[in-house]
Amino acid sequence: MSSNHLSFCAQRSAVAESPGEWRAPSRHRHAPPGETPASDFSGWKKEATVNLVVAHRLEAERLIAWFGLGEMLPRGEFPCFGDEEGLSLVVTGSGAERAAAGVRYLQERRPGCAWLNIGVAGHGNAAVGTGLLIHRIEDRSTGKRHWPSPTGLKLPGGNLITVSEAETGYAEDAAYDMEAAGFFAAASRLVAPDLVFVYKIVSDNPEHPLADFRRGRVSSLIGARKSEIHTLVGYLRERSARFARWRSLPAEYRELLGKYHFSATRKAALAKLCRRFLALDMERRLAVLASKRYHNAGALMAALEAELAGAMMSGEADSNEPAT
Amino acid sequence: MFSAIYFESAVREHPRTHAILERHRDLPRIECERYGEIFNRKSRNFRLQKENPALILARKHGRKVLPAPGGYGFEAAGSHYFSHMLNCIYDCRYCFLQGMYRSAHCVLFVNYEDFAAAVEQTLADTTLPGEAAPGAGQVFYSGYDCDSLAFEPLSGFAEYFVPWFAARPRAVLELRTKSTQIGGLLKRDPISNCIVAMSFTTPAAAARWEHGVPAIEKRLAALGRLQDAGWPVAIRFEPLMPDTNPDACGELFELVFSRLDSRRLHSVSTGLFRMPADYFRNILKLYPDEALFARETRTRNGVVALQHPDEASWLKQIETALFRHIDPANYYRCADENPDCEN
Repeated sequence: MSSNHLSFCAQRSAVAESPGEWRAPSRHRHAPPGETPASDFSGWKKEATVNLVVAHRLEAERLIAWFGLGEMLPRGEFPCFGDEEGLSLVVTGSGAERAAAGVRYLQERRPGCAWLNIGVAGHGNAAVGTGLLIHRIEDRSTGKRHWPSPTGLKLPGGNLITVSEAETGYAEDAAYDMEAAGFFAAASRLVAPDLVFVYKIVSDNPEHPLADFRRGRVSSLIGARKSEIHTLVGYLRERSARFARWRSLPAEYRELLGKYHFSATRKAALAKLCRRFLALDMERRLAVLASKRYHNAGALMAALEAELAGAMMSGEADSNEPAT
Repeated sequence: MFSAIYFESAVREHPRTHAILERHRDLPRIECERYGEIFNRKSRNFRLQKENPALILARKHGRKVLPAPGGYGFEAAGSHYFSHMLNCIYDCRYCFLQGMYRSAHCVLFVNYEDFAAAVEQTLADTTLPGEAAPGAGQVFYSGYDCDSLAFEPLSGFAEYFVPWFAARPRAVLELRTKSTQIGGLLKRDPISNCIVAMSFTTPAAAARWEHGVPAIEKRLAALGRLQDAGWPVAIRFEPLMPDTNPDACGELFELVFSRLDSRRLHSVSTGLFRMPADYFRNILKLYPDEALFARETRTRNGVVALQHPDEASWLKQIETALFRHIDPANYYRCADENPDCEN
């Protein structure tokens, strides 16, 4: 069953690097003159990002094609792919540790807001080809359990056990893989676990054991779940975009950071103040105040605070009733 | 309503678990050892979970009846609360539960019999020597960490506890709710020691902050039916937001008391918006884009309140408007030291 057991090797390179060039997929390579070439990171959406994690190149192929992902250059420890809409993918290789390392690596290159592990897995009961959104992950080696949040997507779900050796006994009514526990633990340290998910497609079971599995089938198994995977990725894109929107900051924030010197504490306080202006529908007041000249960051902050306090007391700011 | 049902292995065979799972065959069922594996885990995000909350069926261990915080309810010999549920299916932006828990999933403790035993023990502990009936004047609030009735069709909470309290007439049960799930109550004879207390804010505040809550008109219609059937009903005007215009409150009072017989109300109360400072900090992180939490606040004794330039005078105007409809003897103000009323 498990893709995990398939000994595909992730391509590796000795070169380690930070975000750099992005090799666009073929459909982007011949951009008409005048159009922005899709060959660097300047356009990608840094906030509403979804990161996909797969163990093997064969599991990645359909995803790369469906979502039009281009390879990130220069190559590093793990092959990475991405687009300009904030979708990225890393091929980690087999095993929970490799999966966790791949998560950390991709986070360095393109931080993710939501994470999804996709792959094939064995199962004690389910038919080959069944797609399962995982509800419970058990790390067989430690006994630790992880609980991805429910999505409400009405996709078939199930439990999963991450094992360190190929599972051929299929003892439980659960999926078996070799990555999910490592993936989930690593990704949950980076973002709220409510934005970390695992989707597995059954590749082998007691009737169709791993020994009979041909790795060439991986691509077709993934391909057969195109609709579900698109639904999931769309859901995560939408959720991560909303999550980013909740925390968005007005342009004035960056502008002011450039104009004055802020300590780390004051920087955080400025972000809070700017968000309050946004929340209270006082963006224009913020813009006016930001355009003025202050002696230093402290004077600016005092002016922002005074404006908010004054507006609240006078009832000018957002209110649910006509002022008394 | 729910996106999945988790259940503890220990309650797998419980009849209430069976009944709920049976009614939700289409939902994923996920078994766990303890509800704490899923509920309130570190780093979880209440706001994200609230978009797809799950139901968790569990057994309540440990203390099941606790003293109610000072000023939570009306004057009584003793005030207690017990929570058969944690969290609420509604999504009121001002609710302290958002800051108290890191999870938006609802936990339903199915071992009602153990809660009843704990209430019985509390009654025995508070019975004075020579008293004929146990628990005289002891009040038990059931809507502190949840809405008492919103989940009634599935939980059968009132269906179990109302007859139980009917057999203990000197103890009082308050069902605090914003729900119109009153069918079960109307099917049985009213009892004088079960009060249905419903919370209201002005229509503007309700429209803005109370998501998924039945409309004021529907709540009033439900309360009216209960009152007509002989149930004691109570009104909780809370939380009062500092930007609430007393005239808007006056209009709400006109509406409420045109539908209910104010002479037959058990009690009426008001309460300001307030919550423990650490809960407020948690909520601020969850909702940085929410106007309600962007307002000026004051913190006193670890409790955050929204500022009003002249709170005393504003409250007096509201109470004056209220006393045009009710006897002040039936009124109390939810005390400032209890920040958790607006549930």
